[in-house]
Amino acid sequence: MSEQTPTDLQLEFQINGRNMKRRAQPHQRLLDFIRDDLALTGAKEGCGAGECGTCSVFVDGKLVKSCLMPVAKANGTKIETIEGLAGWGGDLTPVQKAFHKTGASQCGYCIPGMVMAATSALRENPKADIEEIKERLGGNICRCTGYTKIFEAVEMARDVLSGEANAAVLEADGAGKSYIGNNVRRLDAPSKVAGRLRYAGDMVMPGMLHMQVLRSPHAHALIKSIDTSEAENLPGVACVITADDVPGEDGFGVFVHDQPIMARGRVRYVGEAIAAVTADDMLTAVRAASLIKVEYEPIAAVFDSEEAMQNGAPVVHDYAPDNIVKHIPIRKGDVEQGFADADLVVEQSYDTQAVEHAYLEPEAGIAYVDHDDVVTVVSPSQNITHHRHMLAKIIDRPINKVRFIMSPVGGGFGGKEDMIYQGMLALSAMKTGAPVRLVYTREESIISTAKRHPARITYKMGLKQDGRITAVSFRMISDGGAYGLSTEGVMRKAAILACGPYNIPNVQIDTYGVYTNNTPSGAFRTFGAMQSQFATESHMDICAEKLGLDPFEFRRINMMQNGAVTHTQQQLGSVSIGRVLEAAEKASRWETGPVSMRGQERADLGGDDTRPPCTLGARFRKPGDDDRQEVA
Amino acid sequence: MMGRKMRGRGMAASWYGIARTATIDRAGAWAELDDGGTGKIVTGVTEIGEGILTLLAQVAAEEMGIKPEDITIGDNDTARSPEAAHAGATRQTYMIGNSVALACRDARAKLDKELAEHWDVEADSIEAFDGEIWSKGSNLKMSMEEAVDICKKRGVVPVGSGSFTAHGTGLDPVDGSGSPWQAYVFGTQVAEVEVDTVTGEVQVLGIWAAHDVGRAINPRGVEGQIEGGVVQGLGQALMEDYQLEDGHTKTHGFAKYILPTSLDIPEINTVIVEDPDPKSPLGAKGIGEPALVPTAPAIMNAIYDAVGVRITSLPATPEKVLAALQAKAAAGQLEAAE
Ligand code: FES
Ligand code: FES
Repeated sequence: MSEQTPTDLQLEFQINGRNMKRRAQPHQRLLDFIRDDLALTGAKEGCGAGECGTCSVFVDGKLVKSCLMPVAKANGTKIETIEGLAGWGGDLTPVQKAFHKTGASQCGYCIPGMVMAATSALRENPKADIEEIKERLGGNICRCTGYTKIFEAVEMARDVLSGEANAAVLEADGAGKSYIGNNVRRLDAPSKVAGRLRYAGDMVMPGMLHMQVLRSPHAHALIKSIDTSEAENLPGVACVITADDVPGEDGFGVFVHDQPIMARGRVRYVGEAIAAVTADDMLTAVRAASLIKVEYEPIAAVFDSEEAMQNGAPVVHDYAPDNIVKHIPIRKGDVEQGFADADLVVEQSYDTQAVEHAYLEPEAGIAYVDHDDVVTVVSPSQNITHHRHMLAKIIDRPINKVRFIMSPVGGGFGGKEDMIYQGMLALSAMKTGAPVRLVYTREESIISTAKRHPARITYKMGLKQDGRITAVSFRMISDGGAYGLSTEGVMRKAAILACGPYNIPNVQIDTYGVYTNNTPSGAFRTFGAMQSQFATESHMDICAEKLGLDPFEFRRINMMQNGAVTHTQQQLGSVSIGRVLEAAEKASRWETGPVSMRGQERADLGGDDTRPPCTLGARFRKPGDDDRQEVA
Repeated sequence: MMGRKMRGRGMAASWYGIARTATIDRAGAWAELDDGGTGKIVTGVTEIGEGILTLLAQVAAEEMGIKPEDITIGDNDTARSPEAAHAGATRQTYMIGNSVALACRDARAKLDKELAEHWDVEADSIEAFDGEIWSKGSNLKMSMEEAVDICKKRGVVPVGSGSFTAHGTGLDPVDGSGSPWQAYVFGTQVAEVEVDTVTGEVQVLGIWAAHDVGRAINPRGVEGQIEGGVVQGLGQALMEDYQLEDGHTKTHGFAKYILPTSLDIPEINTVIVEDPDPKSPLGAKGIGEPALVPTAPAIMNAIYDAVGVRITSLPATPEKVLAALQAKAAAGQLEAAE
């Protein structure tokens, strides 16, 4: 990048109050230039497509998504980044302080962009009300906070700036009598609201190389050959790795180690890694990856979990000829008897979809081999302990010669528990002897990493006329996709918690995780419990309606009490379900009445503790509709 | 007769287990009362956004008797820190929080012993808070800075370590019997929705979320976890849908994979319920994952309350709600005709 080429741009601009004259390359976006050339990494690339707002900066005072702006357009402008709001060591602005005070930053990845959008909102209209604030933040996604504390922060900053509130509201609350039960402000917040915290993708090391992964276009195919010679010969390429470069036992996974670092003779889903190129710069790495020739022989694939369970279905892993990753059975009492004793039996099936974690920080990491020959990987891994174990086996090194450092995680939700790319980084660092960095694009992150398990659930519940549940049979089939990852554990947790916090004398639960040629499913906040309890809690409502009972009342009739014995026959101590039912009922001013379509008669709707609905159709987006609202 | 905009409410309950499932879970930590009356703690974990670093600093501050801002948290590094294992399974507060508490108690015990000899009092008379340390029932009192200095001059570095265990057991392979967790939490949410019967669009206007967290170490942090969980639950309930066609992703960016934005957010009313865990030093349990379990069914139950259609297949997109309303109307006409 340092060499001047005839096509280089000459730019003059002001950034954070400083005048600058710099060269840039025509293909760069303003975001690349700010991050790579100026080392201002507060602006992040959450999507690269104008859809998330993490890259927000001011250009000539106007809020701009810097991933959409060619750097040439920045010539002659005044640019302000998050780093410029409060200079290094400088005092935070009231907006930043308010974010700190209310706990508006969690992982922090969206926060520099959010602070910019909030600052813009209050510059444009210092009196913006909450509805306007929401509109003006509409172009910025946050996956962690549920936005609520962000709204609170912007309102607090508005009031302080306008003098309506005393600046003291921004300060810490104080020790009180104890630091337990105390709203201590987040210690990590100042670094996040100021854009100072470096995530793995923001880190650089001297001599650092860049990695591009080549991915499978096929869902299920044999790899006949991989020819990397042309890629390797491209100037600037340091190495190309494939499964042949793995020195040890190649396999990772949270429960079953069925996934190779890169496809080994066979690909099982679209987006699976085949090879990885390491080069002096990203452009070269991308170009080289396109020069790798892979000969595939597509084979029959299976995309439906129930079809995968049929005899004769294409087999995804030879070790599991029935395509079943894991079946978890739970039995208690005698369900047939329980249904025979019931006055009423209610059956229904439920479906839940695959869900993307959508953490705003795409996967990223740096690996290097240190002076003591320790293979070191820095990444936002949610499980450095287990990753170290697995990588030591894979690269055939003693465990103390492998080191994992957990970088600040820009959102995980379970999606960063899998060691999907750290192996490639380690192998390339070992092969080149240089630090190697990999940063996923948003698209790469979406197509190739684990999702929430979609589930199909068949539910049958037997009940007495007085509301007591006599039996439940529950069967859930989940698409685990092409590799095992966390599927076994997800099936276990889904099964244990399936029937909810209720006393049910007779229970039959079966959960099945199944291999298919879809994107793998893995850990995702609730680990299967959301899917199974979605079915249970929907079913409880259907049954309450049939019995003419209020939904709280029906749950109280059946809820576990202190000392209850669970579906897995564990005896519990204190059980708080009664307390949380009462708390929610009271807080919501719930109007008691049997489940039915009674919305029209309810008197408990539309209180101060609800928000007004948005105007007609303003937010109506059709799936597949490409336009998102761009307010800010 | 249905109007265009119909409102309704629904509720759902839930339960959840804390820390790793059906196995023994463990985590370790080191602690040191350091120069200047500051504290150092080391454990192999870092922030994934939930607020764990702040929580650990609060726990350490409370146990050491100093201020949270005077705590330094060491490396999240397999080569420099004891095993903490994974940042998931709603185990951070429970596993790491308790191991840090134990490590700090260990360090404090060493300091208290030296100080007790220095003051000629019983070690168990010594208390400390917010940077000061004293002997109960006397006028002996000094800053933590002085206390650490005295301890070191007596030849002792006040360091400690802690290992915390949660005793889960595996499930029987035939009947699934077992004790997967030693701590459980429970939650209930109520949702209020408005359904547009012309477009099928559902807006969530209010959520009331009551969750048992054991003991709330940072109530604002607990609220943040609940708000974030509710909104992820709302996304799954109404819009998020990762779609594949013959294994190829159709939703490869945020233009196609729709996430909740600021305009989708209901008023979220949190009620923190505290039923302390008797099996751990802190009594805290956790909230990260359980917060989103009841949201989607509460919303579906609210849609039923509003318009009488039951969406059993997530997400309840406008198309799906409209189709269900049309099917219901057709069934109603059929009934009327009979
Ligand atoms: S990175 Fe620019 S909007 Fe997402
Ligand atoms: S704090 Fe907003 S994305 Fe994590």
